[in-house]
Amino acid sequence: MAETREKSHKPKPRVRPIVRLGIFLVSHSFLVSVVCCTSGVLALFLLPVLAKNTYISENALMPGSASPMLSNQHVLDGNRLVKDLTNSNLKSSETGIESHKIIAQYMLDLGAEVSFHKFHPQMNQFHPLHFFSSPDSGKIQENYSCSSYGINTVGVIRAPRGDGKEAIVLVTPYNALKSGFGEALSLGIAYSVFSLLTQVTWLAKDIIWLVADSQFGEYAAVSAWLREYQTPKFSSLSTLNSEMCPDINNLFEIKVHSVAGSKFSNSFRRAGTMAAALVLKVRDQGEQFEDTISIYAEASNGQMPNLDLINVVNYLAVHRQGLRVNVEKLRSLLNSSWLKSLGEIFESLAKVAKTLNPKCKFGIPATEYVEGTATLASSLYYQALGVPTGPHGAFRDYQVDAITLEISPKFSLDKVWRNDILLRGGRLIEGVIRSVNNLLEKFHQSFFLYLLTSPSKFVSVGVYMIAFALLIAPLPMVAASLYVDANSSSNFLKGDSSTPSAVTDAAEHGITIRSWKWLNSAKLVFIVHLWGAIVSLLPYFICQIPDCSPTTSFVIWVLLSILSLLILNSVLASPLACVKASQEKEWALVKSVTISSVFIGLGLMSVINFATAEIGALVMVPMCLLAQPLKLDVRAGTLRSCCRIICNLVLGHIAFPPAAFFLLKGMLDGFGSANVGDFWMWVESLWAWNSATYLFIGMVQLPCWVLCVSILFHSC
Amino acid sequence: METFNNPKPVLHLLLLPCLLLYSSIAFSSSVEAAMHTNNWAVLVCTSRFWFNYRHMANTLSLYRTVKRLGIPDERIILMLADDMACNTRNKYPAQVFNNENHRLNLYGDNVEVDYRGYEVTVENFLRVLTGRHETAVPRSKRLLSDEGSHILLYMTGHGGDEFLKFQDSEELQSHDLADAVKQMKEKHRFKELLIMVDTCQAATLFNQLQSPGVLAIGSSMKGENSYSHHLDSDVGVSVVDRFTYYTLAFFERLNIYDNASLSSLFSSYNPSWLMSTAYYRKGVYKRSLEEVPVTTFFGSVMETIHTDAAYKALSRRNSGKFEAQTSLDQSVHHSERRTPVKVNDRDETHNINPEGQEGASKCPWSTFCNKFLKAENVDSLVNYGLVAMVPFLMISMWLVR
Repeated sequence: MAETREKSHKPKPRVRPIVRLGIFLVSHSFLVSVVCCTSGVLALFLLPVLAKNTYISENALMPGSASPMLSNQHVLDGNRLVKDLTNSNLKSSETGIESHKIIAQYMLDLGAEVSFHKFHPQMNQFHPLHFFSSPDSGKIQENYSCSSYGINTVGVIRAPRGDGKEAIVLVTPYNALKSGFGEALSLGIAYSVFSLLTQVTWLAKDIIWLVADSQFGEYAAVSAWLREYQTPKFSSLSTLNSEMCPDINNLFEIKVHSVAGSKFSNSFRRAGTMAAALVLKVRDQGEQFEDTISIYAEASNGQMPNLDLINVVNYLAVHRQGLRVNVEKLRSLLNSSWLKSLGEIFESLAKVAKTLNPKCKFGIPATEYVEGTATLASSLYYQALGVPTGPHGAFRDYQVDAITLEISPKFSLDKVWRNDILLRGGRLIEGVIRSVNNLLEKFHQSFFLYLLTSPSKFVSVGVYMIAFALLIAPLPMVAASLYVDANSSSNFLKGDSSTPSAVTDAAEHGITIRSWKWLNSAKLVFIVHLWGAIVSLLPYFICQIPDCSPTTSFVIWVLLSILSLLILNSVLASPLACVKASQEKEWALVKSVTISSVFIGLGLMSVINFATAEIGALVMVPMCLLAQPLKLDVRAGTLRSCCRIICNLVLGHIAFPPAAFFLLKGMLDGFGSANVGDFWMWVESLWAWNSATYLFIGMVQLPCWVLCVSILFHSC
Repeated sequence: METFNNPKPVLHLLLLPCLLLYSSIAFSSSVEAAMHTNNWAVLVCTSRFWFNYRHMANTLSLYRTVKRLGIPDERIILMLADDMACNTRNKYPAQVFNNENHRLNLYGDNVEVDYRGYEVTVENFLRVLTGRHETAVPRSKRLLSDEGSHILLYMTGHGGDEFLKFQDSEELQSHDLADAVKQMKEKHRFKELLIMVDTCQAATLFNQLQSPGVLAIGSSMKGENSYSHHLDSDVGVSVVDRFTYYTLAFFERLNIYDNASLSSLFSSYNPSWLMSTAYYRKGVYKRSLEEVPVTTFFGSVMETIHTDAAYKALSRRNSGKFEAQTSLDQSVHHSERRTPVKVNDRDETHNINPEGQEGASKCPWSTFCNKFLKAENVDSLVNYGLVAMVPFLMISMWLVR
């Protein structure tokens, strides 16, 4: 007891080093934030340099260890199907059903199990509670009509000696009503592989070939089939369907009779759990000089398939079939000169580093850097968007690794070329299937969180998180320093004005008030965030208005949002207004709380969808850190404050979500085509795909922007 | 018991020297342990999964080789951790090849796998070596070797610094192996043991070995990997490891009558072909490797002992057999089984007693004879006999004259 009393009497109690470090950082928050932010942005631009070469991580895959077995005979089979399909298109008016029959017949001839799956397209509706929820089977639609349905043709090969617990899915989207030559060709490739796989003895997993009816979109067909596959319905809906739409049923009856005794089945056919899925497409017009194959991997909310799957495809395509592999790039970045000069700077830096230490070998040529950055930017963009880039996205919702392969052949019409594409495409698919067939477990060895900088280079989560962490690191420090500043300055003023006798009494009272003063700002921030939530819910009601063009919807949305902000402000924040006027440094507290909330929001978002958080942080962090009442800056009138005014105004415009959207769209597509309704359409697509980016924009970015703007126009 | 013992104290007194004599003979023969009685092979593939096809092919190839060189199936313990032949990914069902030419199916009709699949564990492996089995384990799954046995222990799989992975779930460490070998030595379970390991960093597995009579060879040194020899693009996997491939190549040239020495085998490993350095460790192995034929371990070639008399060497054989039997009993013993074993011992001593008594009554001439017999101087006995014949001859000559 005595000791503790002595200690408490000491003037300066010892502070632990970590606390001292914290205090040091908080007191130098300006310097820290400048350093951190610049290094964060720099780290982002360094990512293409730091990218590592991909490698096959899973031992069991062994891609390319077996020589392809697809022969010319199988190619001829595929060619026959292509011919039949293109002919039937010309002949029959009822082509949709005819071509499905042809495909089913071909599958049956191979000895596969065949079934039709009919589905009704789902409307893109805004379900406020559907974000993050797994897709459910119970979506019963009352308003379907018999005329609009799609038919998926499904063929299943059972592994001759397998246990039937696992399956590999091959998907070819096919629109029977207006199919191009490319689609027919993709069916031909799939068929040639399928015909091979019925003969081989090495299958350990079942093979499912899904010919997805893409007349309502490729994704809809695949997701409808997957929903049926994964979450079987036990309701009477299917019987209801057949009762109400006899014409569909008729088709099936005819089918059954025509191929009696075969493996055709009216019921839904299933195999085991899916190990992987490949979506195969052939582009109609090929303009390249060589045969290329594009890989699309992004699924909803920036989820990626396991990197091993991409590696296998890339390895087999490049080293076995001699195809060029492409991943999506932002083409506008390819010609930018500033990027090229940045690349040159990095290159020369790497050379200098190499002269200093011959062992260090980072650094890539400038052209490669530009390409890498363009690929990285597109990888970030598509992940941030949260919208799947192809039908493979539907698989990711069920944790199945899937990618879309789009073959764009160098175009010519002669038969040799067609056979060549069938052979090489088929062998690629065969190789991938054989490799996945070797798998013993799900894909798990390689990365799920990565950004691609080229088909054979990637940046893993451990590296790209650094850029983001550096970017948001100053936020809590600045918030703390602002809070401390606001408290101490008011403390100083009060201490000055009061007489010494009243000091103790007033100080105690003042401390209690001051320590809770931030609650007012927190209340303001909370109200604005509440408003953000309301704004993001509004489209649900706007959707219900019938016959509304995107432009009017958008206008209604904006008006309602402003209205709700005003109402909320008047109802909840009115008592705050009078207090606000009385306080000197109130804006600092608001800024501090805003920054904290942004920090929390960005941190949460980085877990859900890293790319969104990264792009959001690039815009929001400078805006939050720079925000300062314009009046103060105008009053100061120095060069520094002028710069700050300009920065604030620019950021204030850019950070407004619609403005950012139009700017981005203008940069990518040109400003001519911009339309107010586009933003509405874009937002619609976001919620249709259950993208968390929509929530981020509505509940983090928009409130943050409003708060920053309110700080800018603060009257002090 | 006492009533049985009491009436014959004299007999016991008589018996004592004979027993002493007998036991001293038995002891001397067990210390000597010189006779090579039989050959055993323990072949272990420790890794599962389709992509480890080559390990099973390695083991099966070695199995085929030692069988060809004369070790019968009942003296081979074959442990295979997975069944590649029946894997669904196998393009050739029920067949295993170790070469892409597919000329030789290793998984023919007469392959007896003793431990398969999940039975191949570190525990079972150590049980096989040390002979501590559950009572229910059949004889075909036991290593019933004796002190005159030559044992080949071949292991392949994935290894590392002083360990060998079993089944992707557990591992055998170098001191486990050393301990097992030491136990084997103390239980007289082998005369000579060759441990051959084809894994990465195989040589590190022998670091703790100290028992005498143990030779060890590994495919690679510490820090080195052992690589597969070639890929069969038809089956889609690598089918054989380099070390095993060149071992097999060496043995393909040999037959059971060849006299190639172990040193010629060990020197046949070319580091540039193996892409690793084969390392052998002689330890306390006494014989010079140049003099030891490979068939000492990889075949079953017995040393033929020439005897003039058909049955004279019998007594020695008998003693050897008796030792083998007791060592066998020791290896199996449990508390429940201990009593019958003891009873057996007493029976045997009883059985021997009358013979001993007889011998004692015929003293001293028969003991003299015995001594001669036991001294194993059959030739000198004959010589002495011949010399003894000379006076008889002279006396008879003298009488006749």
